[in-house]
Amino acid sequence: MNKIIKPGSGVLFMKIGTHANETLADIIARKEAEIRDAGFGMWGYGGNTCHPSSMVQPFAKAFADRGPIYLCMEAMESNHFAEGVAAEYSLDSQEWMKIPDAIEVRGSKYAMIIEDLHEERFKLPLDQTRVLVGPSLGRLGSRYVKGRVDKACLEILEAPELANDAKPRDITIDFVARTRAPYAVFLRGQR
Amino acid sequence: MVLQSEMVADWADGKRLAFIGDGDAISVSVAYLRARNVLNYGPSQITVFDFDERTVEAVKNFADRERIPNLDAQLYNVLDAMNPPVPFDCFYTNPPWGASNNGASVNCFVERGIEATHHLGEGMVVIADDDELPWPKYVLASVQGFAAEQGFYVSRMQRKLHEYHLDDAPDLKSCNLYLTALPGNKARAPSAPFTDPGRLENFYGLSQPPKVRYVRARRRLDYGVAHEDEYELEYLESVS
Repeated sequence: MNKIIKPGSGVLFMKIGTHANETLADIIARKEAEIRDAGFGMWGYGGNTCHPSSMVQPFAKAFADRGPIYLCMEAMESNHFAEGVAAEYSLDSQEWMKIPDAIEVRGSKYAMIIEDLHEERFKLPLDQTRVLVGPSLGRLGSRYVKGRVDKACLEILEAPELANDAKPRDITIDFVARTRAPYAVFLRGQR
Repeated sequence: MVLQSEMVADWADGKRLAFIGDGDAISVSVAYLRARNVLNYGPSQITVFDFDERTVEAVKNFADRERIPNLDAQLYNVLDAMNPPVPFDCFYTNPPWGASNNGASVNCFVERGIEATHHLGEGMVVIADDDELPWPKYVLASVQGFAAEQGFYVSRMQRKLHEYHLDDAPDLKSCNLYLTALPGNKARAPSAPFTDPGRLENFYGLSQPPKVRYVRARRRLDYGVAHEDEYELEYLESVS
């Protein structure tokens, strides 16, 4: 158990890898520079499992008073070919603001707002987590994160669920970032 | 979708059917299967009530293009009162899940459907049905209890019929819940706008109250073809 995996706290989980033809090492270096220069970074992603307004923002609202919400990332081999650099961001896809020049988000519809991005390796026990928002509300993390589901808004439970039909499932986390308000945003435009 | 459309066509054969929202285009599918004689049964009239003008216009355009006079749509927000001058015989709704409010948002759509039939018809509600999760059980109980309060009973239930391949709920299933009015059933109160913040707070999910009255369609000259923003032409060198 570490400072992140605390019962009652919330974590955002995401598998990460090559994105928009850029290697993970290059992305990490670029995001660290963004955080240094702009004070925060934008971690681009897609898919509805961490939709900004229907998933991440309500999730953060529910957990923000229990301490920082960490984005826990598992490195993986992947291909991703989308291109384009977003020009604007929005909390609600209604009011749009210019993305700071120091920040570059490539090939993504959404972005998490992050700071303190660093390498940190530990186990995330998926059997000790459950989904907190959306139509999979209440589903155990180990039964949720599979197949196409590569991101999740999870609550850490007091203890893992013990089941006879499945082995305990831990995921190795490789990188961690602290998220901050507004936690996740919509992106659009082309810089 | 075809299976669901066939079941709706059979259930609503010869009846006036109101769709309280229809993001899945089941209404269009039902009408088209009947119009093309794939099915020799189906509703006598289908009217779609939806707050998305793109949906309303798509239904109207399809009905016009395919010459389906008994398919129509109206711009309507479920928060507003429902007072059709001529009652529908039955209603169909596939509402927001209601996972974060014990089905309160489902009950809003069901209430409008009941009002569309002047409290004397039947309804088909597409609703989550999953043994593993607690919330669908609460939602099912809530909706059945609400229907009973309105003078309707559960006349049939087709369990775990649909899967959606949703990104955020790949295993979730839903059922068709059929409701039927008790004989001589009467309205409990006149139809009125939904304004109770407690009922609306988690309408579309956790901390997601309704904010939009209508989704308005932007007018486009190139309707039905690829948008001009999506491409540019690179000419042959021989073309000047």
